[in-house]
Amino acid sequence: MIVLLAEFTRPEALMRAARQTQNAGDKVLDAFTPFPVAGMAELLGARSTRLRAVMFAGGIAIALGAIGTEYFSAMLDYPINSGGRPLNSWPAFMLFPFAIGIFAAAVSGFIALMAETGLPRLHHPLFAVEGFERASQSRFLLAIEVVRFEKGPADAEERLRNAGALSVREVEA
Amino acid sequence: MSSVTPKQKAAALSTVELDRRAALKLLASGMALSLASCGKPPEEIVPYVDQPERLVPGIPLKFATTLDMAGYGRGVIAISVEGRPIKVEGNPRHPASLGATDVFAEASVLTLYDPDRSKAPRGPKGIASWDAFGDALRTQMEKEKTRAGAGLRLVSGRITSPTLLRQIDGLLKQFPQARWYRYEPVSDDNERDGAIMAFGRPLTPLPRIGEAAVILSLNADFLGSGPHQIANGRAFASARKADAGAEQFLRLYVAEPVLSLTGANADHWLAIRPELIRNIALTVAATLRGEKANAPLPPEAEHFAAAAAADLKSKAGKAIVMAGRAQPAELHALCHTINNMLHAPVDLIEPVDPAGKHGEALHAFADDLSNSRIETLLILDANPAYDAPRELGFKAGFPKLPFSAHLGLYDDETAAICHWHLPLSHTLESWSDLRAFDGTASIVQPLIRPLYDTRSMHQVLALLGGALSPVSYDLVRETWQPRGGDDFDSWWRQVLHDGVIAQTRHAAVSAQPRTIAIKPAASPAESVLVLAPDPSIWDGRHANNAWLQECPKPLSKETWGNTLSVSSRDAQQLRCATGDVITLKYKDVSVEAVVRVTANQAGGAYATTLGYGRRKAGAIGDGAGFDVYPLRGIDEPWLMSGVTIAKTGKTRDIPTTQGQFRLEGETTQFLPRVSLAALAAGLKGPPFEEGPKPTLYPPVQNDDPYAWAMVIDTAACIGCNACLVACQAENNVPVVGPDQILRSRVMHWLRVDTYTDANGGIQGFQPVPCMHCEHAPCEPVCPVAASVHDREGLNVQVYNRCIGTRFCQSNCPYKVRRFNWFGYADDEEYANLGEPPIKAQHNPDVTVRGRGVMEKCTYCVQRISRARRNAEKENRTIKEGEVVTACQAACPTRAISFGNLKDARAHVNALRKEKRHYELLGHLGTRPRTTYLARLINPNPDFGEAKS
Amino acid sequence: MSSLALNRIDTPPADTERWVLPSGQSDEAVNRIVSAPLLQPHKWTWRAWWIAFAVSGAMTVMMIVSASWLLIRGVGVWGNNTTVVWGFGIANYVWWIGIGNAGTLISSMLLLMRQHWRASINRFAEAMTLFAASIAGLFPILHLGRPLYFYWLTPYPNTMLLWPQWRSALIWDFWAILSYLLFSIVFWYVGLIPDFATLRDRARSNLPRKVYGALALGWRGSARHWHFYEIYHKAMAALAVPLVVSLHSVVGLDFAASLMPGWAETIFPPYFVVGAMYSGFAMVVVLAALVRWGFRMQAIITVSHFDVMAKVMLMASIVMGLSYATEWFDAWYGGDHAERSLVTFMFTGSYAPIYFVMLFCNVLAPQAFWLPAVRRSVFAVFVIAVIINVGMWLERILIILNTLSHTHLPSMRHLFFPTIWDWTLLFGSLGFFTFMFLIFVRLVPSVSMHEVRHILHEGAQR
Repeated sequence: MIVLLAEFTRPEALMRAARQTQNAGDKVLDAFTPFPVAGMAELLGARSTRLRAVMFAGGIAIALGAIGTEYFSAMLDYPINSGGRPLNSWPAFMLFPFAIGIFAAAVSGFIALMAETGLPRLHHPLFAVEGFERASQSRFLLAIEVVRFEKGPADAEERLRNAGALSVREVEA
Repeated sequence: MSSVTPKQKAAALSTVELDRRAALKLLASGMALSLASCGKPPEEIVPYVDQPERLVPGIPLKFATTLDMAGYGRGVIAISVEGRPIKVEGNPRHPASLGATDVFAEASVLTLYDPDRSKAPRGPKGIASWDAFGDALRTQMEKEKTRAGAGLRLVSGRITSPTLLRQIDGLLKQFPQARWYRYEPVSDDNERDGAIMAFGRPLTPLPRIGEAAVILSLNADFLGSGPHQIANGRAFASARKADAGAEQFLRLYVAEPVLSLTGANADHWLAIRPELIRNIALTVAATLRGEKANAPLPPEAEHFAAAAAADLKSKAGKAIVMAGRAQPAELHALCHTINNMLHAPVDLIEPVDPAGKHGEALHAFADDLSNSRIETLLILDANPAYDAPRELGFKAGFPKLPFSAHLGLYDDETAAICHWHLPLSHTLESWSDLRAFDGTASIVQPLIRPLYDTRSMHQVLALLGGALSPVSYDLVRETWQPRGGDDFDSWWRQVLHDGVIAQTRHAAVSAQPRTIAIKPAASPAESVLVLAPDPSIWDGRHANNAWLQECPKPLSKETWGNTLSVSSRDAQQLRCATGDVITLKYKDVSVEAVVRVTANQAGGAYATTLGYGRRKAGAIGDGAGFDVYPLRGIDEPWLMSGVTIAKTGKTRDIPTTQGQFRLEGETTQFLPRVSLAALAAGLKGPPFEEGPKPTLYPPVQNDDPYAWAMVIDTAACIGCNACLVACQAENNVPVVGPDQILRSRVMHWLRVDTYTDANGGIQGFQPVPCMHCEHAPCEPVCPVAASVHDREGLNVQVYNRCIGTRFCQSNCPYKVRRFNWFGYADDEEYANLGEPPIKAQHNPDVTVRGRGVMEKCTYCVQRISRARRNAEKENRTIKEGEVVTACQAACPTRAISFGNLKDARAHVNALRKEKRHYELLGHLGTRPRTTYLARLINPNPDFGEAKS
Repeated sequence: MSSLALNRIDTPPADTERWVLPSGQSDEAVNRIVSAPLLQPHKWTWRAWWIAFAVSGAMTVMMIVSASWLLIRGVGVWGNNTTVVWGFGIANYVWWIGIGNAGTLISSMLLLMRQHWRASINRFAEAMTLFAASIAGLFPILHLGRPLYFYWLTPYPNTMLLWPQWRSALIWDFWAILSYLLFSIVFWYVGLIPDFATLRDRARSNLPRKVYGALALGWRGSARHWHFYEIYHKAMAALAVPLVVSLHSVVGLDFAASLMPGWAETIFPPYFVVGAMYSGFAMVVVLAALVRWGFRMQAIITVSHFDVMAKVMLMASIVMGLSYATEWFDAWYGGDHAERSLVTFMFTGSYAPIYFVMLFCNVLAPQAFWLPAVRRSVFAVFVIAVIINVGMWLERILIILNTLSHTHLPSMRHLFFPTIWDWTLLFGSLGFFTFMFLIFVRLVPSVSMHEVRHILHEGAQR
């Protein structure tokens, strides 16, 4: 298969090229940009994520655990009369689970993020591609796979250049 | 720049360099280590309770013995654990104790273990032995024999001990030319002379305060510290019982130059120059005779005198007039006459202290010194070099003496200028006997073998007499042989057991006072200095007792020193304020003093207390306060008119424990004062008759048989501080030292708050222990559950769980919790209080707290648990009165009651139903278990505008 | 560089104009301005930095000495006494944790409010948060009587068979701080990943490339990465707001959950949160001014930033003033004697002069921000921000001293006098904070490059 990597200077150009590629029937593999480009993910058909669900679950689980600890220690394991307060002073017991729950949500979210993005991955073949380092600074890269062979890569490259690509080069997939 | 270091460092250093003192200290440490092993004295002493077969470890034994207070006996029950006396409590059978104590009795155990006590004889060439002294003495006494003791002089404080008197008597027979000089810095010469004037012989008046309905005190501080304090306090409280009824309820008038403890408890108090007080007496006398008084008085005083006189007259038979030790003999004589006219309830007894005038003794002594008639001088537990008037010229006289020996607990100022210093055994270490102020005799039995190589006064006197190895035990028994009769031993056991010897009280004699004419005083021009014994260290003999030094003075709450109190009026004229250092000049002597300005003092009168500015008291007492003895004259020991004050520009901070004194507006609810009338009418509004505050919390139910509670009757509290020191002794409460007090850090678990009303008059005294709130604010805020409630309603502090967040104290409305900012009892002790002997005093049932933990009043939980153990052994519940907290036991006026709320018959339940009952800060909903009864006052309705 | 010309944004929209000056209006310019101090230190003169480093280092040593003496001799070396059991320790804690709030507020609350200008300041504001919060965490431990047992606040199986006492506000505190601190670290780091990637790709020499490479976790800026990244970042922001609010409410409860006059007030939690934002914003302004000057970021941190932050502080100062007024009114209206006499004590008591200084710093001085000229003068805003920080510290210490010194029972009313050890620890902690911040700016991009780039283009698209 043939994978082309086109370099743009403006996010708008990138988007234009991506749409044209799709209309032409070729496949947009991915885009590498210095900041999130609106619409790109949707165009790539990024599925709605379970990330928030994971965060919610993680937070709630730890918070419940904390409440359980409090209840067990204050009611069952070590019931003491503290200033005539009821053993189960639940309003006072809420803050510890709340704080630790939010922290737990953050951590589970981070783990989920890593899972979804496949990071950490310190090496990647793309890093070898000349000029790829600009993707994190000021250039907007579009990776497409040429599907329609009758016209060959030249046609796709042509299309990209017309969309405003500084350069288009073929990379090993 | 830490707060405590300088003094502590100093102490630390002084133990490092090995001078003689340090050597002795080390010696002491060595001995102290063996304290646990050193047990009861060899002779049989009889326990107060039935003694177990043998001493059971951990079970304290109680013995009746007697402690001396300025020479008079004060019966106590000493508590001893594994042979170590750790606490004293009152002996109900003894008339000078009545089961209660005073600060000096409570603190005596600390003196016993004082590391600064001298531990071995010291001769002209340094540390010596008793044998060496024996030899030296013998050769000296040989000479004396040849001249019938013409050069022999004994100097001592007041001696009431029959055995000692017998021994001295024997000596004086043996050496007819010898002389015995007896003097007390706090002398009663005026009272004595007054009696001689009135009756022709030195009778001692004993007012029956309990029967009185009106008392006029003319500068007489009968509730202040002294041998009578406990008895007078008890009688005073009993005469002011709420249920006494308006007719019988004692009304107290006090006229004095400086507010005293008695004045603080008065219904009508008058500040007046001491010289003018006689004019009040004259006015009263005249009124009683129905004559017109011609004694000029300031209008306020005239009003006071008239009202008092009328009141006395109307209550004749139940009215007493008393004169103070500072007042001249004529006034005392006049008071005898007045009391006679009033048929006052006053007993007259033959003097318990047989020796003559203190002043005369001092004169004779001075005379002997200057004419160098003294060859052999023995100073028996007296400290003339410090506390005798300067005109005696000791400094000059002493070096010339051929042979001088000093017997005392400390190597003090006098010891320093004597050839020999002989260590005296502590009262708890020796056999002896003493008489109380009313003559009641009792035996002093030792609780412990002498810790060091010390001797009792009996032994030293016997040495003088030529005995070789005298034994106090035998000497004391000898004295009482005749009285004991044939079955002496059982009599002896009984006497030891009871702590008093029956029928030894001096019988009251009847005598008619002759009327003597005395002239009224003209109002004086010069300022006068008024001296008084110190409420904490008396005449200075207790200066090295850290508990007493740190015990806040009842009215000013000063610690670790004395101040010169100046009336606010004079302060304005002199432009001096509290804390200013001034020079006090009298004749050619001047002293630097710190000023304390007070509203409760007569203009033109300055006042301060004796006993401070010690130079060789020890690590604790040295350098605290200033010494006023140099200003004193032999014949004018109390009032020095013609003193002048000059400012130095220097200032000094005064270590006081109480922040503010004034109660105004709504804060008077903290310590309400109610008159009998108001009480009869019924008390309305806060803080009275307030039910429990509403709460969202469900009541804490438990089936525990106990719910401990304390009720403190502020009407009975006279502010004597006995409870405070008792608590310190019982609960191993550490001393923090003056530097820490200056930083507003204190450790006393129980404090006695003193408040003044808007006019500056005393509102009352309020002992404040932990309130043991049912809804304790300190508990829910503790993150580690170190402050929790137990099933019996105690608010307990778990020391080893505490991490020192101090949230509890910051949230305690009463601020009764105490924090160990440093290791006050944990290797950072003040001065020498970390040395081993001190640890021997610690109560083994109470944890010694470490650095960084919070502590507080526990309701003496160790006593509760002992009572519970005993009860459970007999599987019953604890009975009413079985648990007596340390403060309760000490209180002379029974102001503190403690008991079990779940016991319907408990006294506390009755008290909590009284009309005067109220909760301190009850409106906060803390539901305190410690509650109060309002202070009762009984002002004269015909007095006009209230003065007090 | 030719690329500069190429990716200049042709039509800079007015909105962006305010937040980024023309000289910074290109991705490359942003990258260069921010990364130069990190990647080409030799092109930089570090004189001022070294001086600051030396001074703050010395102060850090002072803090260590002070803390060591505290641990050796005991907490008694402080000025606290039997009545005023709390002092500088708690005041410093409350003050630092307040400063520790602003970073998260800026990066989360402003994010949710779509305040794009935050992009230029949120990075070092978050760094400030981390350092301030960790310093804050030290004080409650140092102030303990037995600091080595602070971990007894955690529920763990122990030989004493004991548990923490969950009703105590200190427990809430402990967990709030801990959660907040760790949360902020995660938040901060995630925000840094794309910038680390940029640095990785710009680094010429080997070591920085390796280090930043590792920290970037292999970030490739792929559309999928950005997709999940944004989702997570927004979710975190949404969580951060309630967390930070609860944190300072809990600090307020340390006092409000009590029986003491002047403390037991329901207004405390919100009033503490506002106070926290207030002092935090003031500290951000101070740091912004310094970073801007030190790293010549005038192009990215513009006068408009100071203008808008000044407005925020002005608002906060008014709210603070209202809170104080409410306290006084409640005391009078409630009619409780203790409360009333406390307020009297605030105005007439021994601490009154400090109280008036505090009112000037927190309420009066910031009113100058009504004048646009003042708001747009970086120096003026800087000075007033410093004044506000002083004022807020005074407020913290007075909250403690007034109430504790003027306790219910007159007999126990005592004043507080700080010792040298109180002061050295306070100023030492300031030095330590500066010390850590100086190290931070040498190692981590102090402005979020990817977010600034983003607003440039977002502006362009609008």
